[in-house]
Amino acid sequence: MVLDLDACIESLFQRQLLAESVIKEICEKTKELLMSESNVVHIKAPVTVVGDIHGQFYDLLEIFKIGGYCPDTNYLFLGDYVDRGLYSVETISILTCLKLRYPDRVQLVRGNHESRAVTSTYGFYTECMKKYGTSDVWHYFTDLFDYLTLSVVIDNMIFCVHGGLSPSIHTIDQIKVIDRFKEIPHEGPMADLVWSDPDPGREEFAVSPRGAGYTFGSMVVEKFLHENRMDHILRAHQLCMEGFQVLFDDQLSTVWSAPNYCYRCGNLASILEIGVEGERHFNVFEAAPENERPTPAEAQRTLFSNGVPQSLFSNGGGGSNGAGVGGGPNGAMTFAGASGSNGGIDPAQDTIHYFL
Amino acid sequence: MTSSDRVFQNNHLRHREGLTTVSHDWTMVKAGSLVEKQTLVTIDADATVEDACEVLLKNGITSAPVYDSVKKMYVGMFDYGDLMTYLLLLLKKMDVPLEDQTMEMRDLIQRTSRSQNVPVKLASDLSGKDPFCTVLEETRLGAVVHDFGTGIHRVAVMDSEGNMKGILSQSSTLDYLMRHLSEYPQLQPVMQKSLQQCGLSNGRVLSVNGDEKVLDALISMSTNSVSSLAVLDDQGVLLGNISMTDIKHIMKNLRTSWLWITCFQLVCKIRLSQGVESGEDQYPVLDVNAKSTFGYTLSKLQATKAHRMWVVNDSGCAVGVVSLTDVFRVLSRLIDIDD
Repeated sequence: MVLDLDACIESLFQRQLLAESVIKEICEKTKELLMSESNVVHIKAPVTVVGDIHGQFYDLLEIFKIGGYCPDTNYLFLGDYVDRGLYSVETISILTCLKLRYPDRVQLVRGNHESRAVTSTYGFYTECMKKYGTSDVWHYFTDLFDYLTLSVVIDNMIFCVHGGLSPSIHTIDQIKVIDRFKEIPHEGPMADLVWSDPDPGREEFAVSPRGAGYTFGSMVVEKFLHENRMDHILRAHQLCMEGFQVLFDDQLSTVWSAPNYCYRCGNLASILEIGVEGERHFNVFEAAPENERPTPAEAQRTLFSNGVPQSLFSNGGGGSNGAGVGGGPNGAMTFAGASGSNGGIDPAQDTIHYFL
Repeated sequence: MTSSDRVFQNNHLRHREGLTTVSHDWTMVKAGSLVEKQTLVTIDADATVEDACEVLLKNGITSAPVYDSVKKMYVGMFDYGDLMTYLLLLLKKMDVPLEDQTMEMRDLIQRTSRSQNVPVKLASDLSGKDPFCTVLEETRLGAVVHDFGTGIHRVAVMDSEGNMKGILSQSSTLDYLMRHLSEYPQLQPVMQKSLQQCGLSNGRVLSVNGDEKVLDALISMSTNSVSSLAVLDDQGVLLGNISMTDIKHIMKNLRTSWLWITCFQLVCKIRLSQGVESGEDQYPVLDVNAKSTFGYTLSKLQATKAHRMWVVNDSGCAVGVVSLTDVFRVLSRLIDIDD
């Protein structure tokens, strides 16, 4: 099968799911690409940095509207693409395609949610099962996550990571020697980079209330920046009601890009635009307007690339596919079986699962 | 030294300038001093069980003393264990033999079977575990820690006139000791020991499969007299934890339908709601391994406010557990050795 990435990207912008076989191939090719990336990727400004998205696909579309589309704008995504939101599959699918299509214009850093243990608990696994009927797509993506880089450095001045710092890591070189091609361990430097949080009330490291990683304070930040000759740490990982937060005398910022988190927190979101001279500007935005977002009932329906709507809870699942609308732009497509096999999960409870 | 050891050292053992270097004996600290600034939350003996649960939920506590304003005295403690027993009775899943029923329990069962509103004075201390224990303000911590090591989760601290000054729990005592660790050098050696060296790295793990129903897990906890179960997958890998305090999520808005979902589904739902409330998602399982130090384990218990840490092996399978009771048993053994 010849992979037409532009067609895939266009389908995804229409919120049409890609076929399972297409996802498999995209993940394989992206893994090959990522394999040669260091644990610390060096890039130059200008670049727009995006924080947690958590499956809020419509808000990702909003980000492209505000920040510009690829490849016109360079993007650095700091992780947490999946879980909690209703469209984790569409979100990670489009970001993977964009990375594959424009590898030098899109950087994807691994977040703590890019993990088998976490996605089994926080929604991505369930969403894959619902939308594709089997766990294969979840396996393809979680295998891909093992290849995502751990950090990015912009202009040798800004250190970007999903969570924060580690008591085991004092220099950038120490990050480079980590074997990252595996599930995120429970503890150790790799876990710390994706789980840690700053604590403005402290100076040193302390065990984190999250059960993984550490909290770190002002002296830790100063020492790290000094030792590595950089002037700023940029990270995501924590909800910010104003969309961003600046700490430690502008030595560290948090960028959060999921507005009205879980469709109920009422928070703002932001993207950080870094200019050619290193100027930093937080572009703050609200959740995408209501009329562009489907209702929860509509969200339960899935559009496959041939345009045939598939109701997730209809009887006899695959019946509507048999209506024989022609194959879409991707040629032969395979549909996973209907999701009747939910083990008797009540749809109303599933709504609770997402809207908790 | 591992980095977690270094973190522990920096936070708990470094003497900061200005602090007196007179070392105190932690066992001699008075129970009263640990509850000095506490606001006491009590439950009226005639409140309904549902109302009593609301008090626990609203105040973010796991237990409260029950006060009878007619008898003018405290008649027991109400906690989530009692709530669980009440729920199971309500659902008629527990058969308590007649001779084991105390007068009050029999009354309670009669009332529940006629679906009357049950006053909490009949439900307090229902689980039979964790009865109402009191100590005086002057009681030394060494004695309290000894009680904690036998499985008592909390004690009521009374003054000489019989007034309750506060509740001293295993959690708040741990928190106190960890905050003041640099003042108690006697505790430093045990903090550096590994869990294996403390004899805590393996033991009986009571568990439930992720696919089993929540109600069955509660029955199992009740039958085995434990306050939590490890939630495992088919390979024995630890997925999460279900504990008695999770009942509060069922009682919140009376989501009794949650009794019939699977344990794994409950773990997910709780994690999802906790993460949104705090804006920070937690790691799915709270665990340590055999090589983790005792001090690190205590730091993690303190930071996460958990009541236990599961001990896992390299494959992620649960091979033991370190509960707060285990922690205090180890600490009280130190006292016995010193004497």
